[in-house]
Order: sequence, then structure tokens, then C-alpha cells
Amino acid sequence: MPAFETFLQSIVNGLVLGSFYALIALGYTMIFGVIKLLNFAHGDVYMIGAFVGFGVLSLISGVVGAGWFGLAIAILVSMVAVGCLGVIIQRVAYQPMLSAPRLSILITALAVSLVLQNSALSLTDGKYTAFRTDLGFGGFELGRLFISHQAIVLVAIAALLMIALEFFVSRTMYGRAMRAVSIDKDMCRLMGINVTRVVAITFLIGSGLAAAAGTMAGAYYGSIWYFMGFLIGLKAFTAAVIGGIGSITGAMLGGLILGLLESFGTQISWIGSEWKDVFTFAILILVLVFKPTGLLGKSEVERM
Amino acid sequence: MKTTITAIATTVALGVGLGGVAQAQDDSILIGVQVPTTGSEATYGQDMFNAAELAAEEINASGGLLGREIELINGDSACDPQQSVNAAGNLVSRGVVGIVGGYCSGATLPTLKTYGDEGLPFVITASNSTQLIPANPGNAFMINSTGADQSKKAAEFFESQDIKRLAVIDQGDSYSQDLADLTVERWEAMGHEVATRETVNKGEQDFSAVVSNVRSSDAEAVFWTAYYADGGLMIRQLRQGGYRGMIAVGDGSNSPQLFDIAGGAAEGVFAFSNPTAEFLPEAADFIDNYQAEYGQSPGPYAPLNYDGLKLMAWAMDKAGTTDPAAVVEALESTDGQSWLTGPIRFTDDNTLARSNFIILQGEDDAWTFYAN
Repeated sequence: MPAFETFLQSIVNGLVLGSFYALIALGYTMIFGVIKLLNFAHGDVYMIGAFVGFGVLSLISGVVGAGWFGLAIAILVSMVAVGCLGVIIQRVAYQPMLSAPRLSILITALAVSLVLQNSALSLTDGKYTAFRTDLGFGGFELGRLFISHQAIVLVAIAALLMIALEFFVSRTMYGRAMRAVSIDKDMCRLMGINVTRVVAITFLIGSGLAAAAGTMAGAYYGSIWYFMGFLIGLKAFTAAVIGGIGSITGAMLGGLILGLLESFGTQISWIGSEWKDVFTFAILILVLVFKPTGLLGKSEVERM
Repeated sequence: MKTTITAIATTVALGVGLGGVAQAQDDSILIGVQVPTTGSEATYGQDMFNAAELAAEEINASGGLLGREIELINGDSACDPQQSVNAAGNLVSRGVVGIVGGYCSGATLPTLKTYGDEGLPFVITASNSTQLIPANPGNAFMINSTGADQSKKAAEFFESQDIKRLAVIDQGDSYSQDLADLTVERWEAMGHEVATRETVNKGEQDFSAVVSNVRSSDAEAVFWTAYYADGGLMIRQLRQGGYRGMIAVGDGSNSPQLFDIAGGAAEGVFAFSNPTAEFLPEAADFIDNYQAEYGQSPGPYAPLNYDGLKLMAWAMDKAGTTDPAAVVEALESTDGQSWLTGPIRFTDDNTLARSNFIILQGEDDAWTFYAN
């Protein structure tokens, strides 16, 4: 494949990968924004989202088929259901820990991650579950550049969700409240903002986006299993850090950058594809060393 | 460790004496079947034991061996090295005159010494790691082809299909890496070109980088050497990424689940496989008998274990005695004896001289026989 086509193909690959990372990174960044928690269970919420999406699609495929329409319904139902699960997790596991030291709530997040993973493990016996759709393998071929229909739709859905989120955060009342809470929770409480509800909404949206990513990844890659959230969770966290954790635009940007970097990085012939993860986390370290706040992050001012 | 060995040796020494008495009493020929009937591989192990039992029943029904009946003893290895050494000691102590089986290579390896010390003939039916070869004291015989054989089969198949540029993808574990390395070595030795050699990480879902490397390398065929779960993903993404060339997978990917995960993309994919009963023309009766006796279909390694027991019986018959040394000698002289899985002849390493791998092809979401 001539260099230019390889270049374009890498952009396409990077956009697909980056969309997943960005959707998950958004949850990381929003939750960190409002309660200063690195929610390490977020990757597993993505995994649960994939399983819920799979379950919904299996239920309805007899009626509406497993094509685009069925998949859209599966994504929506999974978003709502897993969004609610996110709220429940927040209420049960994180709410009681909010006034405890930061380390305790971080460990709670790891515990939630293990609970989610092991629940899925015991339900599926650790087997790969095939996620069958009727989407086919069609696509556009331009020379040797190949863009599948699935990739296009997937990137479009991800973009749509991100635009909707951006609109929500910048234009609606709860969006404004969310931004305010991320700046100063106590002051917001004094101003009469229902902080608990804002935090719940944040979990609802963050988990819902992860569920959408999970369902789309299941349909795109074709198989899901209980451990699928672990690595991608770490990658999305990396994306959030690269973009500047706490910044919503930063998470989107970080996700896309990471996707593109990975896809271009593995084209460098002396970095084999097995070095992909090393490459990603090396970049994380570089960002942390040279720009610890991330690309769009603001440095936090210690208030007295 | 030392005490364990002493303990086993003592048990063995005691057992041989007792076993001898027991044997003299009921006059049957005791053969140990070393398979994992508990643990993670229990279903495969049970299939293998059933197959051996079927072979023994057939021999007994037609007059027995050396005028005596064959009696099988289950030595459950549980696919665990420690458990299998214990089981081996137990088999020896009960006075078996030969052992058939061996499923997990890791669990078979330590038993080689136990049986070797007694000089007992051991027909290894499923384990096929090349690590077993140097550890073999000379009394063990492998009737399953090794990774080296599979790579040869693969390279010759690609050549026969007029492939010039081959891409090889493994998953970084010892099984798949070994197979990939051996294949690349052989392919280059045959004077062909390796278009690209890729490794993917376990648990990775996105193979887009590998797919574009494969496409940009102009590979005419892709050989995936690892297991079915990621193999299904790989096949799917290769097709999804616009790759239209040939795809072949190793024996670790020979699973019906591959089709589920590949979601229709595995049509026409080739697989190299151990001889499984449904694709062996000689095995039709075997499948019927097995079904009738056990109410299910024989698993992938049952035919090999059936052949293993028949081979052992043949060797004892030829030697005219169950004396271990004579039986080992008879096994060495095996010359093309054939039951279900094809003719058996051994190299100086006591491995199968001929590769017994068969080639399957994916058709309508199932494997069909393609070639020998």
C-alpha cells in the first residue's frame, strides 16, 4: 500500500479507536470533575454496557432484526440501564465515602471494579460471547484504502453523542450546575444547588456514554467478555489525562489523539503491533512529565 | 523433592510386588490410561478414557490379548504436574504393564521419568510439545504430531496453493509463537517470502493496525497460529478491514466457537487440525459405537487414544509377552500399523514419522474436511 493510502488508513483506524477511547474518557473526566474520584470501575461499566447491549439485541432481534435499527435500540436501552447502574454504584459505594480520605474512595472504586468483573465472570463462565449482528462487512474502497460502513456509522454516533454532551454541559441548567460543582462543591451547596442530584446526573451520563461505547465495540469487534473493560479503561484514563483530566473537551481530544497515536505508532516498522500498549503508556508518562495538567487542563490553584 | 521421589519410589517398589500378585490372580493385563478426568480438561480426558475403553472392549470381545483380558486403570492426571506424578506412581504400584494417554504436555512431562525408571512402555496420544522429546528416556512413543509437523504441513499447504507472500500472526504465548517461528523458518527455507510477521497481545480487541500492516504488505495468505477466541476476532477484522486473501488458522483455533465470534467472516478459512473423528473416513464405525455406548460424540482426541490402546495391544501381541522391554522393542518396530488416524511409524526420537494433521475448511459456519 503506498504511503499516502497507509496514512489515510491509519487516520480511519485511529478515528474508530479514538471514538471508543473518547466516549469512555468522558466518563472518567466528568466523574473526576465533580467528586475528584478516579473511577477505576469505569472500564467495567463499559463492559457491563456491552453485555446489556448484547442482551437487549438478542431479545429484540427476533422482532426488529439485528441490523442498524436493532442496534440503535440496543445502544439506547443499554445507555439508560447502565446509566442507572452508574447512579446505583455511586449511591451505594461512593456516596458514603465522600467525606473519607481520597485514598479510601479510590480503593472502593477498585473494589467496585472487581465486583463488576467477577459478576460478569460468574454469569458467563469467563467465555467469549459472540456478539452477532447483521451489519455485514461492506464498505467503501478507494484504491487500497478501505472504510467499512460500520466504522463510519460508529464514528458518527460517537460524534453525535459528544456534541449532545457538549450542548448539555454548556447550555442547560444541569450542565451549568455540573460545571459549578466541579469548581467548588461547598459553595454550590450554599447557593442552593442540589449537589447530590448533580453528582447522580454525572454518573448517569458518564456511565451511559461508556455503555454506548461498549455496545458499539461489541457490535464492531464481534465478541465480548468479562475482562474487556480493563485495558480499554486504562487507555481511556490515559486519554483523559492526556487531554487534561476534568476537562470535557480535553477528554474528547485526548481520546482521538490517543487513537490516532496508537494507529500511527504501530505503523512505524520498528514498533511492532505488540508494542502498542507500551507506546501508549510511554506517552502517558511523557505527558505527565512535561505537561502534568494535560493538554487542556488548568493547573489547580491551592486555596487557603 | 528428594523425599517425594523416595516416597514414590517406595510406593512403586511395594506396588510392583503387590500388583504382580493381583495380576497373577485374575490373570488380566492391566494397562494404565493417563488422562485428566477431573479439572479444567476433564471433558477431553473422559472422551479419551471412553475411547480407550471402547478399544479394550473390542479386543476382549475378539478373544483378548495373549489369551487374557485387558483391564484399564484410570490414572487421573487432572492436567496438573503434581497430580499426574502421583497418578503415575499409583498406576505403577498397581502393576500396569503399559500406559496409554497423556493430554496436557506440562502434566505428561514429569511422568516420563516415573515410567522411564520402570522401563514401562508409554504411548503418548495427545500431548505434543517438542519439550517432551529430549525428556523421553526411550520408553515413550508420541502418536500425535508435534508443532514442528504442523508448521511443515502449513508451509507445504501454502506452497501448494501458490502463495508467494505469507503473513504470520501469533499471540505471544509459547504455543503460538513456537508454531509461528517454526513456520516462518520453514517458509523461508523453502525459498519464499514472509510478507509480515505480527504479534498481538492477549486480551486486545482492536487489531486494525495489524490488519493495515497485512494489507500494505501485499500478503496473499495470513496464518493465525493462536487460539480460536482471538482468532475469530482477527478473521472478522481482516475481512472487515478489506483483506480478501486466504486465511488459515492453527489447531488451537479448531473450534466451532470460532464461527460464532467471526460472525460469518470465517467462510473459506482453512484450519490445520489433529485428526478428529468426524473427518476420518475410517472412524465411521468408531463414532457409531461411541455414540451407542456413551450417548455423545467423541471429542477431538478420542481417536488418538483409541489408536494408542490398539497400538499398545498390537505391540504386546507382537512381543508375545507383556515384558516391558520386549514391548518397547516391539513399539520401536512399528511399521505403518493403522487404525483410525492413519499409519504409525516412529522416528529415532519416538515421534510420529508422518504428520497426521488434516486440513479443514470453514463452510456454512462449520468445519468441513478439505484435505489430508
